[in-house]
Amino acid sequence: MKRRQFIRSISLGTAGISLLPVLGNKLLYGSGQFPQAVWVENGEPEQLLKRALQEFGGLKRFIKKGDVVVIKPNIGWDRPPELAANTNPHLVAALVKACKEAGAKKVKIFDRTCNNPQRCYRNSQIQKWAEKAGAKVEHIRPNRFKKITIDGNIVKEWLIYRDYLEADKVINVPIAKHHSLSLVTLGLKNLMGVMGDNRGLIHNNFAEKLTDIDRKILPTLTIIDAYRILTANGPVGGNPKDVKLTKTLILSDCTVSADNLALSLFGLKLEDVPHIKMAYEKGLAKYDPGKLTVRRVTLG
Amino acid sequence: MRTARRISQIVFFLFFIFLFLITRYPYEHGITTEIFLRFSPLSPVFMFIKDLKINLLFLPALIILFFTVFFGRFFCGWICPLGTLLDISGKIVKSPLNRISEKWQKLRYLKFALLIGLLILALFSVHIWGYFDPLSIFNRALTIVFYPLATLFAEKALLALSNVSFLEDPAYWLYDQFKYAIMPENQAHYQQLFWIALFIFLILIAEKLSRRFWCRYLCPAGALLSFLSQFRFYERIVGEQCPACNKCQIECKMNAIPQDDVGYTNKVECIECFNCGATCPPKYNAITYRWRWTPYRTSVDYSRRRFLGTSVASITALGLLGVGIKNKEAINQQVRPPGSLTEEDFKDKCIRCMECVRICASNGACLQPSGIQSSIADLWLPIAEMRTGYCEYNCNQCGQVCPTEAILPLTLAQKKKTPMGLAYFDKNLCIPFARNEDCIVCEEHCPTSEKAIKFDIRDFTDPKTGQTRKVKYPYVIKELCIGCGICVYKCPLEGKPAIFVTIENQKRPTSSDILKS
Repeated sequence: MKRRQFIRSISLGTAGISLLPVLGNKLLYGSGQFPQAVWVENGEPEQLLKRALQEFGGLKRFIKKGDVVVIKPNIGWDRPPELAANTNPHLVAALVKACKEAGAKKVKIFDRTCNNPQRCYRNSQIQKWAEKAGAKVEHIRPNRFKKITIDGNIVKEWLIYRDYLEADKVINVPIAKHHSLSLVTLGLKNLMGVMGDNRGLIHNNFAEKLTDIDRKILPTLTIIDAYRILTANGPVGGNPKDVKLTKTLILSDCTVSADNLALSLFGLKLEDVPHIKMAYEKGLAKYDPGKLTVRRVTLG
Repeated sequence: MRTARRISQIVFFLFFIFLFLITRYPYEHGITTEIFLRFSPLSPVFMFIKDLKINLLFLPALIILFFTVFFGRFFCGWICPLGTLLDISGKIVKSPLNRISEKWQKLRYLKFALLIGLLILALFSVHIWGYFDPLSIFNRALTIVFYPLATLFAEKALLALSNVSFLEDPAYWLYDQFKYAIMPENQAHYQQLFWIALFIFLILIAEKLSRRFWCRYLCPAGALLSFLSQFRFYERIVGEQCPACNKCQIECKMNAIPQDDVGYTNKVECIECFNCGATCPPKYNAITYRWRWTPYRTSVDYSRRRFLGTSVASITALGLLGVGIKNKEAINQQVRPPGSLTEEDFKDKCIRCMECVRICASNGACLQPSGIQSSIADLWLPIAEMRTGYCEYNCNQCGQVCPTEAILPLTLAQKKKTPMGLAYFDKNLCIPFARNEDCIVCEEHCPTSEKAIKFDIRDFTDPKTGQTRKVKYPYVIKELCIGCGICVYKCPLEGKPAIFVTIENQKRPTSSDILKS
């Protein structure tokens, strides 16, 4: 063996060895260096979010400097945070800050509410805390819906809010709630907040229509707020007895996987919930439910 | 003095408009915005007839009535926002000179007749004076006509501008400012718009016939003040040096100075606009205003014969108002705001001022001025139209802004337990019943903490395919339903909803109820 040859093989070898941990991670977690979903529990909303993002490799993985980010919480109801009808305002505020830190140029927040928008934005406290954190919290403007082609099994086209479509990155932040029609409302259902038209029409043949539309508007990240969950009389709630303090947060870049994980909070299985099951069948999920890698963390 | 009067008019006008604008959600500024409706001189009198007690709610009006005895109709000239609006209108349509409008002079008695007629009706327990109350007219016009008109224009214009690419950002910026400062709620559209608009239009356009036509000949509040100001102590004195140039007579808003005797003031007509003093040529400076303990009297232009005529007319009106079609179906749909007194008392006390309708627009937006449904006096009473809006569960603001407490100021907890009505399904239309498919949007939105709409899950076998599926069939629990109507509002059917609210099960408090709790 010549000296030159020796040096070459040695350097290749070192390079190979130094790459091993990376490959190891790859083997461990499948496709990437990071888990496909994170489940954090036992903490305050801000702590839950911080840890989850950390485990997921930080928001910088998803948000580039100068991005316009849309955060889509659930602001649907004229209810205070304690009644768990809307996304936790402190979680939303913490997320706004995280986006800004990751370099987002602008963070927009909106939801097409079910009750009077002013009341919902105010009573949910999302307007107050998110604006403090530096987000632009806007009511839905009636002239900003755009008809997009859906070409689904039933729905052929539907109106979607333009700011949502035009955003560089979208973070969907639903609250985990009971819902009488769809059993639960999570990430997939929360996206109805950017849909225009008569949304009541989505309600018959719900699973098929919802997944038809959702397929076209899946977000970058889904963060399920399960700090408080609503276990009955959803999605409006109103009775403190129906609220359960679960202090949990689920994060994934796949909405369907996040939704699927959250089902265990309600003691449900995938077979029970037609719209999430259908989302898997129609290929809305990034990850196989059987092989999903989840990092579970308990704080405290 | 004329400048002071003009400033007062502008200040009060803007103040009333400001109060109007802040009559909206969240209503936490601590200002009782309905206070300006309690400036109406008529309210304490008619409320006294209704309740047989002096209600201190109407303190502003009582103060005005008291001072009118000494100072005359200063309210009309200095405060009344409808009067100010008429002055503006008069400038625009160019009212004719008093010489020309003299021919209407004989109608002066009409306002007294109207007042006496309304009083007679009130004594027979029919209270319809609110239709003619100047402040009520003003607020009604603002709520139903002017505000929607102005905001519709502004909103549409700004949104249209935002569609132009290079104007998008500034247009939206303006839109946001406009939404923040002036119109945070959704655009409201009102039924009865045409008739209310016509009513205010006729009053305003009457300026073409004479200045302050409404005030001179029709206004019952003016008439009441006229009665009180017969002996007004604050007098206009015309000095010896007056050459009778008649300039003051020409400028008089109310034609209260006779052409042939400019030294005399018709005290029951004069609204103290002080135009006379301001137009008197400085070289004469003949007009002064002074307090005199021995005032002369101007009698009211209303004879015994006229009184008899009025009485006959009002008894006829009484009969006509009693004759209604008594449409049971319509009565069953007349859902009133939560906390409304029992229907009879409610009709008597409501002055159709639209204050509740105004604040409802920034909440659930269900309240509308009603049309004539089962009797004539139904007109413009607030009615909850659940297909165009719904009663917001966490809102009790209509009761808070009612100037006459026709709607009692319930607390939020009380309001949530005060049913306005009861919902019924129309199973012929309802999707689960008609097509055996899931829907239950109504159940989703039902706001009571234990839902008043529940559903059965039953198997349905499609006769064509033979497949069986589970369908959720909704129904209403009477004990839980508060008739808020969000189910009606959200029903996804395009036209007629498959659920409707009737007044069945409604809880209408009496005044004493509220005092107990």
